[in-house]
Amino acid sequence: MRTGFDKLKKDSLKEWELLSGGRPSVCIGTATCGRSAGSMEVKEEFENVLRTTGIEADIVEVGCIGMCFAEPIVMVRANGKDWVCYGEVQTSQVSEIVEKHIKNNTVVRDLALGTLGDTGIEGLPALFESQVMKGQVRRILSNCGIINPQSVGHYIAREGYTGLQKALRLSPSEIIDIVKKSGLRGRGGAGFPVWKKWTFCYEQETETKYLICNADEGDPGAFMNRSLIEGDPHSLIEGMIIAGYTLGAHEAYIYCRAEYPLALERLRLAIEQAENIGFLGHDIFGSGFSFSIKIKEGAGAFVCGEETALIASIEGERGMPVPRPPFPAVSGLWAKPTIINNVETLASVALILRKGAEWYSNIGTEKSKGSKTFALVGKVKNTGLIEVPLGTTIREMVFEIGGGIPDNRKFKAVQTGGPSGGCIPEKLIDVPVDYDELSRLGTIMGSGGIVVMDEKTCMVDFARYFLEFANKESCGKCAPCRLGTRQMLDILDDIVRGRGKIEDIDLLLELAEGVKAGSLCGLGQTAPNPVITTIKYFRHEYEEHILQKKCRASVCKELVSSPCQHTCPIGTEVPAYIGYIANKEYRKAYEIILKDNPLPSVCGRVCHHPCEEFCQTGNWGDPIAIRALKRFATDWAIENGLYPTEKRYRIFREKVAIIGAGPGGLMAGFNLVKKGYDVTIYEAEDIAGGALSMAIPEYRLPLDILNLDIQNIITAGVKIKSGIRVGRDISFRELKHSYSALLIATGAHKSKMLGIENEGATGVIDALSFLKNVKLNRETGIGARVGVIGGGNAAIDAARSAIRMEDCKKVIIIYRRTEKEIPAFPEEIEAGLEEGIEIMYLTAPVKALTDGNNILKGLRCIRMVPGDYDSSGRRRPVPVEGSEFNIELENVIVAIGEDPTTGFENEVEGLELQDNNTIKTDPETFKTGIDGVFAVGDVVTGPDTIIKAMGGGKIAADMIEKYLNGEDVKAEYAPTRPSVYVKADEFDPEAEIELARPAVSRIPVGKRKTNFLEVDMKFDEETAVREASRCLRCDLETEDAKAALKVIEE
Amino acid sequence: MKKITCYIDNMRLEADPGETILELARANNIYIPTLCYHPDISPSGNCRLCIVEIEGRRGQHISCMTQVEDGMRIRSESQEINAIRRTTLELIHANHTQDCTNCTSNNNCELQKVTAYIGVDEKRLERLRRTRPELKVDDSNPFFNLDHNKCIMCGICIRTCDEVAGVNALDYGFRGFDTIISTFGDKPIKESVCESCGECVVRCPVGALYVKEQILPAREVKTVCAYCGVGCNLYLGVRGNKIVSARGDRESIVNKGRLCVKGRFGYSFIDHPERLTTPLKKVNGSFKEISWDEALDTIADKFSGAKGNFAALTSAKVTNEDNYIIQKFARAVMGTNNIDHCARLCHAPTVSGLVQSFGSGAMTNSIDEFKTARTIFSIGSNTTAAHPIIGLHIKEARRKGAKIIVANPKEIDLCRFADIYMRHYPGTDVVLLMGMMKIIVDEGLQDEEFIKSRCEGYDEFLSSLNDFDTETTSNITGVPSDTIREAARLYAGKRPSSLVYAMGITQHSHGTDNVLAVSNLALLTGNVGRESSGINPLRGQNNVQGACDMGGLPNVYPGYQAVTNDDVVEKFEKAWSTKLNRENGLTHTEYFTEIEKGNIKALYQVGENPVLSEADANHVKKALEKLEFFVVQDIFLTETARYADIILPACCFAEKEGTFTNTERRVQRVRKAVDPPGEAKDDWWISCEIAKRMGAKGFDFDSVTDIVEEINSLTPSYAGITYERIEEEGIQWPCPDTNHPGTKYLHSEKFARKGGKGKLFPLLYKASVELPDKDYPLLLTTDRSLYHYHTSTMTGRVSGLKDIQGSEFIIIHPEDAKKMGLVDGELINVKSRRGNIKVKVDISRICPAGVASLTFHFPDAPTNELTICAVDPVSKIPETKVCSVRIEKET
Repeated sequence: MRTGFDKLKKDSLKEWELLSGGRPSVCIGTATCGRSAGSMEVKEEFENVLRTTGIEADIVEVGCIGMCFAEPIVMVRANGKDWVCYGEVQTSQVSEIVEKHIKNNTVVRDLALGTLGDTGIEGLPALFESQVMKGQVRRILSNCGIINPQSVGHYIAREGYTGLQKALRLSPSEIIDIVKKSGLRGRGGAGFPVWKKWTFCYEQETETKYLICNADEGDPGAFMNRSLIEGDPHSLIEGMIIAGYTLGAHEAYIYCRAEYPLALERLRLAIEQAENIGFLGHDIFGSGFSFSIKIKEGAGAFVCGEETALIASIEGERGMPVPRPPFPAVSGLWAKPTIINNVETLASVALILRKGAEWYSNIGTEKSKGSKTFALVGKVKNTGLIEVPLGTTIREMVFEIGGGIPDNRKFKAVQTGGPSGGCIPEKLIDVPVDYDELSRLGTIMGSGGIVVMDEKTCMVDFARYFLEFANKESCGKCAPCRLGTRQMLDILDDIVRGRGKIEDIDLLLELAEGVKAGSLCGLGQTAPNPVITTIKYFRHEYEEHILQKKCRASVCKELVSSPCQHTCPIGTEVPAYIGYIANKEYRKAYEIILKDNPLPSVCGRVCHHPCEEFCQTGNWGDPIAIRALKRFATDWAIENGLYPTEKRYRIFREKVAIIGAGPGGLMAGFNLVKKGYDVTIYEAEDIAGGALSMAIPEYRLPLDILNLDIQNIITAGVKIKSGIRVGRDISFRELKHSYSALLIATGAHKSKMLGIENEGATGVIDALSFLKNVKLNRETGIGARVGVIGGGNAAIDAARSAIRMEDCKKVIIIYRRTEKEIPAFPEEIEAGLEEGIEIMYLTAPVKALTDGNNILKGLRCIRMVPGDYDSSGRRRPVPVEGSEFNIELENVIVAIGEDPTTGFENEVEGLELQDNNTIKTDPETFKTGIDGVFAVGDVVTGPDTIIKAMGGGKIAADMIEKYLNGEDVKAEYAPTRPSVYVKADEFDPEAEIELARPAVSRIPVGKRKTNFLEVDMKFDEETAVREASRCLRCDLETEDAKAALKVIEE
Repeated sequence: MKKITCYIDNMRLEADPGETILELARANNIYIPTLCYHPDISPSGNCRLCIVEIEGRRGQHISCMTQVEDGMRIRSESQEINAIRRTTLELIHANHTQDCTNCTSNNNCELQKVTAYIGVDEKRLERLRRTRPELKVDDSNPFFNLDHNKCIMCGICIRTCDEVAGVNALDYGFRGFDTIISTFGDKPIKESVCESCGECVVRCPVGALYVKEQILPAREVKTVCAYCGVGCNLYLGVRGNKIVSARGDRESIVNKGRLCVKGRFGYSFIDHPERLTTPLKKVNGSFKEISWDEALDTIADKFSGAKGNFAALTSAKVTNEDNYIIQKFARAVMGTNNIDHCARLCHAPTVSGLVQSFGSGAMTNSIDEFKTARTIFSIGSNTTAAHPIIGLHIKEARRKGAKIIVANPKEIDLCRFADIYMRHYPGTDVVLLMGMMKIIVDEGLQDEEFIKSRCEGYDEFLSSLNDFDTETTSNITGVPSDTIREAARLYAGKRPSSLVYAMGITQHSHGTDNVLAVSNLALLTGNVGRESSGINPLRGQNNVQGACDMGGLPNVYPGYQAVTNDDVVEKFEKAWSTKLNRENGLTHTEYFTEIEKGNIKALYQVGENPVLSEADANHVKKALEKLEFFVVQDIFLTETARYADIILPACCFAEKEGTFTNTERRVQRVRKAVDPPGEAKDDWWISCEIAKRMGAKGFDFDSVTDIVEEINSLTPSYAGITYERIEEEGIQWPCPDTNHPGTKYLHSEKFARKGGKGKLFPLLYKASVELPDKDYPLLLTTDRSLYHYHTSTMTGRVSGLKDIQGSEFIIIHPEDAKKMGLVDGELINVKSRRGNIKVKVDISRICPAGVASLTFHFPDAPTNELTICAVDPVSKIPETKVCSVRIEKET
């Protein structure tokens, strides 16, 4: 046996050295992930190019190295140097790689991900030192993406089949002992100690025993086994032979799903090779042990991953589980003792025999030894196959290896273990992942799928999805699973459709327990896990769905209708007006906007457009430019003189006073007038608009545009008394006495201060004061060099206003986090940069530098680096010791936020103030502690957006009406629906997804830098219509919409 | 087996090792709720209601599949258990039609029982969604419906169809919530392989599978099924004077509660409006109602003048008592041994052959012994179609590990269960069997000891084997050599081996040789005279065994006492106080030739229909027309009755008392369930009345009990089978005295032959008389349908059975069909040298190429007009299994 194997090994090493030797080689990842990214075309192109250029190089197909996100991956080696790994190689780039790298020995740097090898190449990182690979280990996957899976020689050259060599010299009980020492637990899901399972079977005194490898991998999002088989099939074969030898089984099956054609092809070849060599067959290498492996293709039923159902399937029966005991280890396939192990388990066995139990168990946690492969998928940048020591945290996997969440979205949860698992919320992602910890959290390891979810995932819908899967895949045999999962699904279906009842949440939990305890097999016993864990960690989302008909992720169609309308605090019927614009019915578009929004021109310019955040079109490409389309419609209305000029509403009800003519107050006033109330707004400033008139620079929102909207409100019947400050010019008490109801909407005008030394120096100003002074054409005192602290929109507004000041030469924004994290709108930043503003990231002020007269001279700053993650999932910046430096500045504008202030707090009894000086109200009705007094806007929420304040105003108006009618002041909710279904234009979704969102044009920098002309230009008609027709019109997908459209059609 | 001790709810209980907790609980009257358990089939653990807790073990365990262990302490309920059970049950209710009062299973519903025990709160149910869409009721089957809306998916029907019926018509279909009980391809049940036995319906714990138009009986009468020779025990449900239901008797050793489609659903002929209700007399070619007196007097008068040229056909469908009286009438009153019946057409060679080899012409072993046989060899028997319940016994044996060998030219249903299938060419049975024996002898697998001690004729037999080397055997039979070899080794090697055969063996011009061949095989391998082995001819009609036993044959008195034996004749002369004929009478097949010759002028026929059942039926019709006086006694106006001069209305099985003897020699009680229609009378009463009016003595019987006493006294093998003894369970003959328990299997110590030894016979291959040629290129063989019986006098009047199969079709192999350009379902003419019928074509590989098959059930396609009346010289059976035909397309 020895000599035979030694010779084989010698030949194999030769073959392996050929690949790693002098001749240039190209390895192309042609596993399924590579193929779907186009690696076969890339391979063909390499062959073409090499043939036509006459350049000599070997082309070798390899498996998946794990970085599926970077496929097609090509590794090139030339001139005896290290391998260079290229990612996302397109066919068009092949000739460049050949020409430069293979022919001229120059690395194509912008495609290179890193090097593989011992010597390295200057200027290129080692691949395994990269962010993605650093936290990983390469044990089970050590050959994947490295060797040619179709070459048994490659496997042998890399110590393959040495585990088997060792095993055949040991007794079965010695092998079981080694496996026991290694601490290996079943990698299929439940983590049962492998040695224990084996012992049950080993102890059976039966002539015939079977080994089955479960390669059914049915979890959505899991592909570890597939990748391993595609990349290194012999590791499985070797493990199986060892297991067979240990157990005394002579026949084995690999149960692999038919949806894995490549894996099946690789397995067939590997078995054939092993048979030819004599690893499989009669009397293996003279050991007296005979063993054969057959492949059984599964038809894709999830339940066939359950071992008794799998056995039934191999036996040719319908894949249905049978109760255990007897366990398959005692009575399994054809009633003979049978061991079923997962692919990774068996591959690990080969590894353990090769490298030893101590080596294997030197990583991992106390009870979960070794490494584990995971399929990292979902909303994560670096999707792919990873291998980490057990005990690695989710955070490390998602944020280090996975590179975090794409599009700067917020991380929400991960899901492990497929439909049998559960979710782990953000707050628990520092838990080390091993079998026991996951089970403690209510989920399972499963075979290793990790699905990352961001804020666009609705947790109720998520639970529903997995339950639907479980119910569809239930074999139907036992009542709890067949009926229970459906019952739960029906309840969840009601919830996501707005028909849920609050008692349903507890009913779900009750059913979940019943199904778990009552079901026959693992499928039913674990199917409720997604529901249980989402309720455990995200109960509030269930409650929102049920009570507020709200889906925060804008996923649940029947609640949401369209995400744009659903997320709009004032419920603007976006799809309707977009539909009208697409149909060139601009007047109708304007009327739809005006119906819900008394400040349409303002919002068309400065709304922070939450509507665009969850835009469905944005899921496939760019979101629709909703705000720009609104501006198009309102500008068109202005040009065509459509703005209302006459008083429109009849006043016939009680008098209501509103304090503050900001967006919240104006909105409430407008809505109350519409209802017939006699509304008076008291505004402390001389002009109405609040932050709109005081804090938003003219170049973004011209005053005459604002006034047009305010005029709209006035013509509707709202009376605005400007220059009257409540608490100074009129007492709150007096107002309360004179009006039937009061609304406080005074906003947040008090800038927060930095809390650094010398903050009071002359030249340090707060952003709000600065912006107000600019707006009111007052003296600003801005000098040549200005620093702005902060990264929000106010900071950018301040910076861009400052740069427009006559004396100002330079403006530097100082922001303590990274470029990725800056919260201001990217288009604003971009415009600011065009205008010459600088931004210093990862920098924080330490102290203001002054001269003897307390006049600002500069700022002492310190460099920051990202530290630990904070509660928002972002990395908290921490100062770099000794990195302080000074900047010379004449002004510092502090733009780090504002606090509310009313000016009459002390006068009013019963008004409860909170820590940050906000007024405490009922969150749903905006009732304050005083009867008949309501409060909305920033004074309640703290500094927030215009549209949110307006949203508050709208609700407050409704609540005030209820109050004045003597009704119960209670918020009522209904699923979002538009008042009209506008017929969609004919469109081809495929083609329209390809269309890009048009950028909003700005007037040239030269024409705007020294003045306050409005910078953004409106869409021209053609652009607007095209953009509007790009909308997918998801509002037409609800059942109501379909019914309505049907009526229209008929 | 040593008992173990365990505890349920602290009750100390004795249990058998291997017993499940549920079985133990049931045995001790402890209720554990369950919906998917049924004692007849394996547990599947899917309703999840029978959970219990076991001390020292985590969680809950299903009691139906957890075996008891010594010292085990079991709790049948706890808070957890109740919570889980309640949730599961509520889920079931949420998806179950909540309309108990309109359900056929109301008050007989396991779901109701379980619900009452566990308790389901309406309030709690209201919280649940009930979104299951209304599913269509499958009402395709003529006898029962499947309502998915009431189905609780316990799977009992699936397991029953698999384990009890072996049909596998039902399985789970689809997945998840949509899972339903379904057929292959989700076709309507009628279009599936379902055999409508109704075993699933019987076991359905709710009202999902239910009998159509179910009427509950007011009382039930235990009796024996009137179809086929298996002799299933059943309870007829009676309401008023109408049979409204039938159910199998679970206590019966014969059928253990199981019934086939005919037995369970085929009773509606009993009160069919076409039943004969008054005597009829043919006047000017049409029948006129007459009084019993007129009828009987006329007959007495005519028969009195026909002594010397009289013959009688008694019936395999009437009771032993009826048969006894009719043969007594022929012999004692008419002075003739011209008494025979249709056994001539089915198992005459069995009697003639087995009497030669074993000394007794009946099934050697019992039905109940199949389950313990290790090899079962079925040759020339479409067991599951013609003897469905024996088919079930064989399937059960296979489940328990028995090997099955099937030899049959047609790929019959049992082939699905066969370990070895030999498709031999029709008429080559002797060659096949002798070929097997050659291999057995060549390989030394014969039972030398048995041969030496219990057999004779071995050497002569051995020498005749030389003609049957394996190659020749394979060439003649068309069965591959290896298959024959395997079958030989299995039959000889894995013993006890039981051989079953039926008309595939007997209905040949060399039928007796065939029977000798099977008995040779049994003797050679020692597979006879032992439990679970033997030669088991499956008798066709319900009382064909009894009709033979009662001397309904031209050569024997009751109990196979030869009419040529002076001692015997003297015994009967003494008992019957009259002189008796000492010459063998004519056989059934000979009657018609003799009628044509004018030697028989009067015929008394009871419950027979030779116009359809006799080979070469056209010559039968011709003969019947020549009769001077023809009396037919029957329950319907059969095709043959149309030729009668007088027709007498008789009682059917449900209207009479008496006994039937089934194929395993078991004499069983038949009981009256309803009154006969109109003036229909017991067969024995009618014969007695004729006899009395002819002045005969010895026919003054008041009841069947009196007749039985006479049978007991004159029939040694029936001597101990009195009515009292068979009240509960039948007794198998021979039963020489009232202390004898009956005989389970024959020939245990010695054979019934003179000298007590079995005899091996040398045999030759004799080809069938009419084989295909240029003019008639197809070999026609005949068979039975599961859904019909005999000439469908009864089954043809059961609308459901007609619905399943309403007409004849000829099975033709696709190759032949292609050659002839036939399409499935096409109406064609089948012609033989003797006749011509019109039937539809069923293209199927069930028949091999070159062979076609018909049944003989349907009057509108009288198959026997085609068959040949080439008879076996010994037994006079016609060769209805082989003749040649040609197909002519309908023009």
